[in-house]
Amino acid sequence: MIIPSRDVREDLRRAVDVAIIGSGAGGGPLARELASAGHSVLVVEEGAHFTREDFNLKPAEAYMRMYRDAGQTVTMGLPFILLPLGKTVGGTTTVNSGTALRMFPPVLKKWRMTHGLDELTEEELNLIYGHLEEYLFVKRADPEVAGKVATTFLSGAEKLGLSCGWLPRNAKECEGFGSCVFGCPSGSKQSVDVTFIPDALSFGADVYTCCRAERIEVKGGRAVGISCQFLDEATGKPSGRRLEVEARAVVLAAGAICTPYLLLRQGLANSSGQVGKNLAIHPATQAVALFDEVLGPPRGIPQACYVDEFQGEGIMLEGGTVPPEIHALSLPFAGRRSAELMVKYPNMGMFGGMVSESASCGAVKDTGRRGYRPTIFYLLRGEDVAKAKAAVVLMAEIWFAAGAHRVFTTIAGHYELTGARDLRRLERSRVRVSDFYGMSAYHPLGTCRMGGDPQWSVVKHTCETWDVEGLYICDGSVLPSSPGVNPQLTIMAMAMRCAGFIDERLSAGKPGAGENAPRPEDVAGEPQGD
Amino acid sequence: MKGLTRQQWEELLTAFTGIPEGLPPPDAEEQVPFIEEYLRAGAPELPGAFHASYLLLNVLSLLMKGRPFSRLDPGHREDLLNRLLSSRNPLPRGVATILALPVLTSYYRRPEVASPLGFDSRALKEEAALRVVSRDRSLPPRDDPAEEAGG
Ligand SMILES: Cc1cc2nc3c(=O)[nH]c(=O)nc-3n(C[C@H](O)[C@H](O)[C@H](O)COP(=O)(O)OP(=O)(O)OC[C@H]3O[C@@H](n4cnc5c(N)ncnc54)[C@H](O)[C@@H]3O)c2cc1C
Repeated sequence: MIIPSRDVREDLRRAVDVAIIGSGAGGGPLARELASAGHSVLVVEEGAHFTREDFNLKPAEAYMRMYRDAGQTVTMGLPFILLPLGKTVGGTTTVNSGTALRMFPPVLKKWRMTHGLDELTEEELNLIYGHLEEYLFVKRADPEVAGKVATTFLSGAEKLGLSCGWLPRNAKECEGFGSCVFGCPSGSKQSVDVTFIPDALSFGADVYTCCRAERIEVKGGRAVGISCQFLDEATGKPSGRRLEVEARAVVLAAGAICTPYLLLRQGLANSSGQVGKNLAIHPATQAVALFDEVLGPPRGIPQACYVDEFQGEGIMLEGGTVPPEIHALSLPFAGRRSAELMVKYPNMGMFGGMVSESASCGAVKDTGRRGYRPTIFYLLRGEDVAKAKAAVVLMAEIWFAAGAHRVFTTIAGHYELTGARDLRRLERSRVRVSDFYGMSAYHPLGTCRMGGDPQWSVVKHTCETWDVEGLYICDGSVLPSSPGVNPQLTIMAMAMRCAGFIDERLSAGKPGAGENAPRPEDVAGEPQGD
Repeated sequence: MKGLTRQQWEELLTAFTGIPEGLPPPDAEEQVPFIEEYLRAGAPELPGAFHASYLLLNVLSLLMKGRPFSRLDPGHREDLLNRLLSSRNPLPRGVATILALPVLTSYYRRPEVASPLGFDSRALKEEAALRVVSRDRSLPPRDDPAEEAGG
């Protein structure tokens, strides 16, 4: 069952087979798989639990309730990059766009060759991807529902002869309410909160919400449990109640920012020195277009189509319309200028472009004095600045080909393009990293990377840490690099794989087959539960 | 809100938002409490960054226009903000951006502003609530990974 912190009136102690920290793309599938295999599973999730009834298409409220730091997490460095992170049951999948892509095949080759991951085979991954796609109802976005912004952009791309198409999405019978990233109000998006988590619960798993894991307990080099703090749902401050969990296996699935932070705070599993390093984020930029005709955003599927002509060069374009309160921020103007454009919101389309293969990398650090909060450093390197600019130029070209009469970019000195001349001027200009206004990123990865060598990686191919037996990491942090596309399906695939190894270990009674761990029924202080 | 008087808020809201044709004007009464809540919900540095940005805005206003922001006429305030936003120097641009974030959000989230622009969250919510989407799928059992999912 789901046990919210408000129902917990005393300190709790539990003993289970598997304790999982985080309920997102990594934690959710693991919980489901291990619970269905008959293991007792307990998940702790720092965020609260929301259902479709709560998803009211109010972006600012959604940011404040379902995102870490109200969706305002930023990276330190040039430029500042907004890096929103989900904090709710289902993790970031509850508030993501629902694009469900398999990894770019050349990347797997790279992982095998340069990260020593021979055990990861395309056949195995494809089999898992296939199962996931079936389970999550993955299919291409329906052009009838996608909305005019998407069809218009695609028509421009087609006119230019670019490789493009409709994105595969984990959505069932989507009617295009335009609100994926604020929680799907129709229940169509098959995010972890409506798929793996309910299934895990039906197999007997427990999920504690507004419950933050703060320590991994280690004895004799082996993970034996976790210590957690309950939080007040309204304020996010500690409620004064604690949860101590003894477990035969511990899985850290708190995402690529919070997972390394927890380890760094504790100085755990870091003999390689790689914890928190190698942060990849897919820096993204956008182009907004103004048309004579009404496009009617944000109704439709906000992220319905793609242009992958330059995927090999590390540039992916994927669509994104947003409601007015977010759209207003993408136009770098104030006063009358801003007002004149915003009244034309119905005639505007927005599209996004990300640097999907990037040379830049960042780090997650524990700088202290920020409460329970990591600091993220990221510097966009020259070649990625060039790619981000190329993405903007490409999007603008596509918009013009589709009939836009003005395009607005986020590159200082080139905010407004009125046609081919402005576009050529942008192409010729030397764009500096500091010229980017309002960059964002949505895919933090790589901060506890998987690899074949304990000197260079944090986890083995099984997701078990090299340093601590029985401690597994399974979220975006273990991907050795960007998968070249949006990562949720690949993170889920890794989780399914990892569940197999944990199941094998636990079923073989190793390590210790519960010799330290009391059975669940032995423990006191059961919650009141709902 | 601590730090800004009501008049300063009104000037700031109008300077950023303008008065979009056919839409209601900015409303400090309604928007400022939201801005306070929004800033509190973010990282602990955010309220401080917002206030520091307001101070810096006044410094930049003195340097670039010869007067503090409040003493400029509305046209010059807008002009200053547009110059900061289009600067290639990330510092002045950052000052304007940090202020713009909650100010613009607080205006365009108002139902009487968003609805005429075609985003009626209440109507959409009601329509979405009528939909019934069932889930009738499971994964193959763990011991037989090759078996097809479905059912
Ligand atoms: C707006 C947006 C749109 C996106 N769109 C797409 C898309 O269309 N397709 C795609 O593939 N990807 C998309 N992504 C990215 C994708 O959702 C993430 O990459 C993925 O969910 C990451 O999975 P994860 O398991 O690493 O972390 P998460 O899914 O973020 O889950 C981690 C969970 O752990 C919890 N947690 C953290 N610390 C603790 C702690 N100490 N104790 C307890 N709990 C803790 C967090 O609250 C969170 O719920 C999007 C992301 C965003 C922000």
